[in-house]
Amino acid sequence: MIGAAWGMARNDLAVWLRSPAAIAAALLPALGLGVLVAVLTQSVGQQPVALVVQGQGPLAARMARIIRGDADAYLLEEMPAADAERAIGTQQVAAIIVVPEDFDVAAARAEAAVDLYLNNVDIDLADDLRRSVTRSVAEFDAPQLGLLGELHGPSSGVLLPNPYRVAVAEHDLRDTNVSFLQYQVIPIVVLIVISVGVLGTALLTARDFEHGRAKMLLLSPAGGWALVVGRLLGGTLITIGLVAPLVALGFLTHHIPYCAEESGAPLWLTQLLSGPCGWMLPPVSWTHALALVALLGAVTLATVGFGTVLGVALRDTRLVTMTALNASAYLFFLGGGFTTVAFLPHWLQVASRFVPTSYAIEGLRQALFYPDLAGFGHDLLVLTGCAGLSIVLASTLLARAWRRA
Amino acid sequence: MSAWRLFRSSAALEAAHLLGSRGFVALTALAAVSFLAMVSLFGLTGSYAPVALIDRDGGPLARRFVEALDGAHHSFALKYMSAEAAEAALGSGRLVGIITIPAGFSDAVARGTTVAVDVRIDNVNVDLTNDVQRALPAAIVGFARQHRFPGTSVEMVEHDVWPHDTGYIPYLAVSALALDAMVIAGILGAMATAREWERATVKLLRLSPASPAIVLAGKLCVAATVAAGALALALLVIEVGYGVVPIARWATVFALLACVAIFTSVGAWLGALLKRTLAAVPLLFGLAMPFYVDSGALEPTRFDGDAIWALAHLSPVYYAVGVLEWAFHGLHVTPEPVWVDLLVLVVIAVVAVILTLGRLARGATR
Repeated sequence: MIGAAWGMARNDLAVWLRSPAAIAAALLPALGLGVLVAVLTQSVGQQPVALVVQGQGPLAARMARIIRGDADAYLLEEMPAADAERAIGTQQVAAIIVVPEDFDVAAARAEAAVDLYLNNVDIDLADDLRRSVTRSVAEFDAPQLGLLGELHGPSSGVLLPNPYRVAVAEHDLRDTNVSFLQYQVIPIVVLIVISVGVLGTALLTARDFEHGRAKMLLLSPAGGWALVVGRLLGGTLITIGLVAPLVALGFLTHHIPYCAEESGAPLWLTQLLSGPCGWMLPPVSWTHALALVALLGAVTLATVGFGTVLGVALRDTRLVTMTALNASAYLFFLGGGFTTVAFLPHWLQVASRFVPTSYAIEGLRQALFYPDLAGFGHDLLVLTGCAGLSIVLASTLLARAWRRA
Repeated sequence: MSAWRLFRSSAALEAAHLLGSRGFVALTALAAVSFLAMVSLFGLTGSYAPVALIDRDGGPLARRFVEALDGAHHSFALKYMSAEAAEAALGSGRLVGIITIPAGFSDAVARGTTVAVDVRIDNVNVDLTNDVQRALPAAIVGFARQHRFPGTSVEMVEHDVWPHDTGYIPYLAVSALALDAMVIAGILGAMATAREWERATVKLLRLSPASPAIVLAGKLCVAATVAAGALALALLVIEVGYGVVPIARWATVFALLACVAIFTSVGAWLGALLKRTLAAVPLLFGLAMPFYVDSGALEPTRFDGDAIWALAHLSPVYYAVGVLEWAFHGLHVTPEPVWVDLLVLVVIAVVAVILTLGRLARGATR
């Protein structure tokens, strides 16, 4: 039985490797989403802003210094008012911050204003800028409301009085921040496993029915269950074969010199490499690495089983492709890929509990970003249950379908 | 055979093929609504960070401060819970932070004393952390302004380019229509031409005295009509489900139909190039997301810098989003005028049709 199963698995692997279209079908959408995250990284956080400093006094200079100092919030460019008007008209900048000519005089009367001319094209962008400029302006009268004040002011026991009468004592949960790209790229690992696992096995199974090979398999001297095991093993090997190098690459990108922050590379090169460099998984301890392997193994088995069920049910490669792509997208997004489930409406949060990928993404983030494995056991248990269920269902359906072919 | 009869016959044949692939067409239409739903899910994460609020004071000024947090530019979704529950939720990634208003807050603020509000942040994601860090001073400023606390010397005065803000989901949903047009019309267009190679009928087409241009026109008209139907479904979901109504209805319909025609032509070329539906479908799905995000779908691409903006010009979705955002919300999201966006789309369509005809007729010209 082992020989027959292994033969079937090897054959499936060979068929898959000779199907570039199928490999592309499984990988392209996931890699497309990866590119999406990389590009998205360029557009979150900082917005291009023109700074026009018309005031010549020391207070105006101080205000300008505060705005210039908030490099995390703005991609700032100083320019004359006329140029700034042109820049906002041609969308080179999203906003203009103007420190007016009479700033010092007005500030002495407690009536100074900083003008924000804002391209409020959508609320996300507009709110980002409103928050940032409000903070910069507040910092003028209350230095502790700036980022440094939030991080190292009252939280370090230094509370300075300010006219707003409230200050922030910020305590961060962890020592290092994970970049937006790194945080969002993690679910793509899960998406690749889903795409390859589901589509790979589903296409192989559907092709057997389309090409009438199911009858030939039935007539072979190998037992039916050996072939079923072989199909599932083949699907698993295909998934591991495609996913393992990608995950390994995620740990190796740390060693690409241009991926390091402050690498000194030109901007165009940094942007070009932002995709590959974004594929950077944080180093983990051996316990977390084991947890990672167990989790990816459970997801692989679950998706291979699901793919087999899909192939048996649809028996048409085009239908299988479209269904698998749609299903993968739903599983990915409802599971928390590119979204944080906690942000979603309550009913969607409840729905997400029934989507196995939510446990995979949650578990993966826990294993990669958090010092402990709190809640990981629960995630792994749910995924193992799903894997067991889908393998049993797939084996039963496939064996029955082949018998009736 | 007259040109009209040839066109009708080709269209009828394509319609029969599509009827035979009802499941595939239905799944393509489902993909249209799916994209919309997915994009909306992403849009929901753009604001309202889930943050636990622990009010140890309970006084009137503490309540006003909570209101200020609520009104800080759509920043926080405040959740009231015990300190223990909040800690557990923060540790497992279900909260972005915990804001604790200390006991005695109201009295101290009323006396003019500065009070520190304790904020614990799960800084696992730098974007969310930045949002919270920037929103807190905004809430504090709003709180102080509401009570007219003396001593502030400067304030921000905002002048908006547009008369009102466009919500993030309405903005994203409209750009998702452009994505839908690309994927659905592209797939159906690709299927129409790839089938000629899959079933080896391309040889018959080349040997036939019938004009390939008219045959192609018949096939693509049906593919475009079905794609337009699927897109109408997505439009209905946006209007009824999301309550987003275009300000220029006829311009919207015209823009969508233009997008359908254009992307059907591009899909037809892809199908003729790859010769297999199975290869064209994932390619379109794979291209969809990068094209989408680098098209001004999330914010005007020009804001992302020169390199990304220049790259965006390679994506037909860039021009489609430019036209659709204008038709739906009256927004200009590309520096180019809307008519230029439309013109580029038409040029892309014409080039795609010419290239497709070239592929279909290659044997005939040899």
